[in-house]
Amino acid sequence: MSMLESKEITKVFGAKTAVDHVTLQLDAGHVYAMLGPNGSGKTTWMKMAAGLCKPTGGEIRFQGEPVSIESRKHVAYMSTEPYFYSWMTVRDVGVYYSDFFQDYSAERYRQLLQRMELTEDLKTRALSSGMMAKLKIAVTLARDAQVYMLDEPFNGIDLLARDEIRACILEAASEDKLMLLSSHLVEEMEAIADCAVFIREGKLIECVDLDTMRTEMGVSMTDRYRQIYGHAGEVQA
Amino acid sequence: MNKLLKYEIRKTRSAKLILLGITAVVELAFLAGLYLVKSDDNSLLIVSCLLLFMLAMLGVSVIGLLSVLILHHDMNTKESYMLFMTPNSAYRILGAKVLENGLSILLIGAFYFGLGFLDVTLLFAREDSLQQLWEMFDQILQTISHEIQINPAGIACFFLWFLTGWIATITTAFLADIVSTALLKGKRFNGVVTFILFIALQSLLNRLLPLFSRYSAMNQRFLIESGINLLFSGLTYVGAAEIMRRKLSV
Repeated sequence: MSMLESKEITKVFGAKTAVDHVTLQLDAGHVYAMLGPNGSGKTTWMKMAAGLCKPTGGEIRFQGEPVSIESRKHVAYMSTEPYFYSWMTVRDVGVYYSDFFQDYSAERYRQLLQRMELTEDLKTRALSSGMMAKLKIAVTLARDAQVYMLDEPFNGIDLLARDEIRACILEAASEDKLMLLSSHLVEEMEAIADCAVFIREGKLIECVDLDTMRTEMGVSMTDRYRQIYGHAGEVQA
Repeated sequence: MNKLLKYEIRKTRSAKLILLGITAVVELAFLAGLYLVKSDDNSLLIVSCLLLFMLAMLGVSVIGLLSVLILHHDMNTKESYMLFMTPNSAYRILGAKVLENGLSILLIGAFYFGLGFLDVTLLFAREDSLQQLWEMFDQILQTISHEIQINPAGIACFFLWFLTGWIATITTAFLADIVSTALLKGKRFNGVVTFILFIALQSLLNRLLPLFSRYSAMNQRFLIESGINLLFSGLTYVGAAEIMRRKLSV
């Protein structure tokens, strides 16, 4: 049984189909890179898996059960946009997670804040985009969740902080956890992920093991990204 | 639920503090007018009395409006993730909002009632003629209708009726806003449809109330209408929470 599975999942916004009959199985013990240009449906798929967005059709299952309030206890989702209440300090954010998530560790949060060079007295509304991105990572990874879904975790983060975040993500990954990351920074993802999910215009192009892709197709993830989305965007075998 | 309630209270804290701050300033003006102004000029006293009365009315309305605005904000901005990614059901999320609003109205109402009672007592203590005026007013009320009784039981019934009526209004507004966000988002005439839905539901309630309480005495009428208000609140709350659970995407 897959940890996270979507069956013919579809989401339509008005005249636009954001996710189009995507069937996908994601297993624990892997770090998946969800790749695709802007508007390809990555965020919408993640939001449906997090239970924030209701599908128009199909369903997403967590450990065999439809995503629900129960699954939110085990799925840690990090949105690409800032979402903390504007009156909160960095400390308040930790208290909020502690209030609602049993798998949250205040000690782990403090350690991550230290590594991200953030202090608890900072007001979230005063944070730069880079600091906000680091805070989102810290509080999400302070949970001992079974599934982590990080939407654009490297957005707005400088090169050195990116190294630290990459290290934190790899530390959080383990055999019994599923890590799903989306990013435009394909080269960055190549160093973290062991599987890749390519999505274009709401449709799943392929979900591949990167080692298999390298040995059988003789291409890197970056090369494959160029093949799929480059130029006219014709999918090549 | 307690944790959700804690954050709902925090969301309205600033607005309440501003309201209390303004009330404190006006109350100081009232006390100054009562004890410091020695001349026959009572303009400060009169103006501050009027302002306190207006603040009490406005305060209650602001608290109600604020809760609807906060719900709208919580469903239509990225801050919605803070609520909807937590393992809390739509019933709990909405329940915390209704509870916070009911408690706020109760406390704000009690605060202004207490303040009004204190100020009237102080005023009577200074002006004997006002005491006589009040007794005369009470006698007139008694003459007009034997039903109007200004006693603790009557006041309690009135407050219960007011509170339940208020909660029914808030849950109706919540339902209208959730319909607007979850079902009609992006559709033409969304705002108009939402407004009509709110007015229609409120009109329905206002037509229902006299059907059950028309021939009852005043206090009994308050109690019957409070029961109907609570039933209506329950129905609109369940409707709103179900739509939120099944259809709301944030």
